[in-house]
Amino acid sequence: MKTRSRSLASLLVLAAVGATIIAGCGGGGGSSSGGGTTSDFVSGAEAACRKANGAIVALGTPQQEQVIKYLEDTEELVERLHKEVAALGPSGAAETAYVKGLAEAIPVLTAMSNAARSENFDAVRELSAGLVEIKLGELAEAAELKSCAEVPVSES
Amino acid sequence: MRRLKLILVLGGVLALLASVGVAWATTGATTGYPQPPNNVPVQKQAPFENRYVLTAVGSGASIRSGEMKFEFEEGSSPQFLVGISQFYSYGPTGEIETGLFTFYPPKALPNGKGLGFTALKVGASAQYGQVTPDGELQLFTPEGGTVKGQLRLHGGGPWPVEFKVLADDERYTASPPAAKQIHEAEPNNPGWGGEASEYEGEYELTNGGSDPTEKAGTLGAVIGVAQGLGVNGAVVSEGSMTVEGNPAVATVKLETGGTERTFTLTKLAWQGDQRVAQVHNEGPSSPPVGHFEGTGGQGEVRGTLISGHSVYKVDFKLKR
Repeated sequence: MKTRSRSLASLLVLAAVGATIIAGCGGGGGSSSGGGTTSDFVSGAEAACRKANGAIVALGTPQQEQVIKYLEDTEELVERLHKEVAALGPSGAAETAYVKGLAEAIPVLTAMSNAARSENFDAVRELSAGLVEIKLGELAEAAELKSCAEVPVSES
Repeated sequence: MRRLKLILVLGGVLALLASVGVAWATTGATTGYPQPPNNVPVQKQAPFENRYVLTAVGSGASIRSGEMKFEFEEGSSPQFLVGISQFYSYGPTGEIETGLFTFYPPKALPNGKGLGFTALKVGASAQYGQVTPDGELQLFTPEGGTVKGQLRLHGGGPWPVEFKVLADDERYTASPPAAKQIHEAEPNNPGWGGEASEYEGEYELTNGGSDPTEKAGTLGAVIGVAQGLGVNGAVVSEGSMTVEGNPAVATVKLETGGTERTFTLTKLAWQGDQRVAQVHNEGPSSPPVGHFEGTGGQGEVRGTLISGHSVYKVDFKLKR
């Protein structure tokens, strides 16, 4: 009985060591490229999106005299989000498409800010169609980025 | 093809900006406007080829003063007129704002009454400027040095307008003199109907559109804000209105994208089927930021709610 217990314990130790080695090997490929694994990307991107969405919610709903500042701040937040998510090293088509969507949004937001500075608010609205076309929420869903797919809703 | 037309029109606008009266040089070509689909005989257009100053305008247009110029498109065959105007308007907080419009294409009004043009709004910056249809200008047959007509802009009007033809050497170094404000008969009966029971209660929005932010993720908020800007009216996805109190006050909740906005309407007034009110952003005692104009009756109110730079087209129906 004692011998059987010792054998079982040895097996368990071996299994644990084996699992650790396998896990270590599995993560090596992504890490060596500096990008992290898919799960690293998801958790990192989710955290970045939660932070960005929180900051966007905190901007509130601007009154007309605050629209320029609101657009400038949003542009900065999306640019930062793009940098953070791109640095996580997306792998696979869905993750890459999400990062590309963020990159595409930045020049549109720049154009919207510029149009607002010129007080051309029709152009701001029309340019926003470019953001709608990106369908960033859908891209986030495809990449299994739940927080990134959420629309930040301001209470004020 | 549409893009080509837009480029052509933008080219024409820039050329016109360089050529319009008073504030700019008075000579220069107007090029780039495509040949209009319907031809108006040159002899009907020719009397309108002039520079003008606005001398009277309906007070509802909130236009203080303005200048305008019509000239034949260079090289056009058959010839057609293109116009440009610079209007100085009273902004929602009382400041003077400048609005540029071009008028194209010309069309003959019924019974030889004059000419009509689509009013195209020109952006403040050429780089980001968009030429967007924003109303209509009708000019009636000139009488001496005066041209009367009517103007529709931003979904409002028509407002009466009167222009004086400027002599070749007549120039303004700054903005032109204030035009006479023509006070139209505006609704002045309190409330939105003869009996409070006709209009008090809870309303539902019946013209809600699809939500453009639905699949936009993090970008949803900024899309929601942007969709509420401009003169053509935002896509309102959801909304409600409650009318109560004496004097009656309406609380309007509108959702554009993921953004919900609450407006308070005071000074509700009616005349026939006209319905008007003053719009506030932060409760009835906050400064007015715009106005509501529309029609109503039999449990329905529909119209345009203007709050600063935002315009919302709304149709409400009273819940019974």
